[in-house]
Amino acid sequence: MAACFASKWSMAVSRSLLGNLSSNNLGSLGKPQDLTSLGYNGLFFQQQLRTFIQMRTKLKVVDNSGAKWVRCIQALKGRKGARLGDTIIASVQEAQPRGKVKKGEVVYGVVVRAAMPRGRCDGSEVKFDDNAVVLVNKQGEPIGTRVFGPVPHELRKKKHLKILTLAEHIA
Amino acid sequence: MAANALSYSLAHISTCSCSKKLSPSIFSSPPLISLTPRRAPLPSSSLDALVVRFPSPLSRRFRHFTASAASDNSVEGEAEVEDAEEESEIPAEGADVVAEEKPPRKPRIKLGDIMGILNKRAIEASEKQRPVPDLRTGDIVEIKLEVPENKRRLSVYKGIIISKQNAGIHTTIRIRRIIAGIGVEIVFPIYSPNIKEIRVVKHRKVRRARLYYLRDKLPRFSTFNYRSCSVVLSVEVNSKPFQRS
Repeated sequence: MAACFASKWSMAVSRSLLGNLSSNNLGSLGKPQDLTSLGYNGLFFQQQLRTFIQMRTKLKVVDNSGAKWVRCIQALKGRKGARLGDTIIASVQEAQPRGKVKKGEVVYGVVVRAAMPRGRCDGSEVKFDDNAVVLVNKQGEPIGTRVFGPVPHELRKKKHLKILTLAEHIA
Repeated sequence: MAANALSYSLAHISTCSCSKKLSPSIFSSPPLISLTPRRAPLPSSSLDALVVRFPSPLSRRFRHFTASAASDNSVEGEAEVEDAEEESEIPAEGADVVAEEKPPRKPRIKLGDIMGILNKRAIEASEKQRPVPDLRTGDIVEIKLEVPENKRRLSVYKGIIISKQNAGIHTTIRIRRIIAGIGVEIVFPIYSPNIKEIRVVKHRKVRRARLYYLRDKLPRFSTFNYRSCSVVLSVEVNSKPFQRS
């Protein structure tokens, strides 16, 4: 009982500290994953509740455009952040020496893998183990010529068909 | 228990005017009576409507149990087959009684049972379309899914079941697999009409119900390749359904 109270208090403190940035609240997520009861707050930190891709989120780049890591600076569409299939504006943090983009460039990207589960219309959910992005230009066409790793079906609805054709595997 | 059962059956005969078929079958099928005290301990002075209504959902459920047993071709003894034939008369009456009485919600029906009944009905309806095998955590499973976005052919998803959440018609399983180097977890509602086939390929011995530890382990523990039996070249095909020992 004391441990439960302690975890509740620490969670409340951490929630207030994190403030708006983390948006770690139930309302945004809808159905909590793998929780037995909403009341027991201690379970929140046993299963990682993955949230949106927002400012300062590091994402892996999975095409051969030259960049390795980008940091999200803005999620277009979505007050709380970007999800699977959304476009973001990112700043290149690390790049390969001879690539199409250089370090420090501001680029657009399409999120192709997200650790946050995305619900589909038939009731299923998809979730990947990492956050990954494919760099695109302003018109939505990918800068690179290859895409590595699996990509979800959601890109079809978002009209990123070029990325789908380049993809290795469609999950 | 016996006195209760006797008073119950007497109440049946005296009150049921519309269900004349009920009385002879009640006498000839003792298992039905023995179920009722477990489910609803009614005093013998209970209301007529309650008494009339209560056996109907039960008998309907009984009918469905035995009907599904028959359809699965599992041999369970002739007593149950006889019961199915006798009680097939009951649900014709019982279903009418329940269907007529449901829209005007009289407070005598136990509201707590209705969701269970609806869920069971929905599961039975979906089982008729496509029977769902017995799935447990640790099964390595292959799912063929028809996705409206991917209109061409059925998508195949393979992987290990890392959790199963039971919620009636929205019972879901979580499949994990390493695809192209990245771990992917997909949650499938197993009674969904989009799922065309679920087949258990193997079983891995696990000692818990949720295998979330697989997320932290090496990727090779979540890799399942070359397991599908759909491609047959020169390998002997094992056509028996997977039996869990």
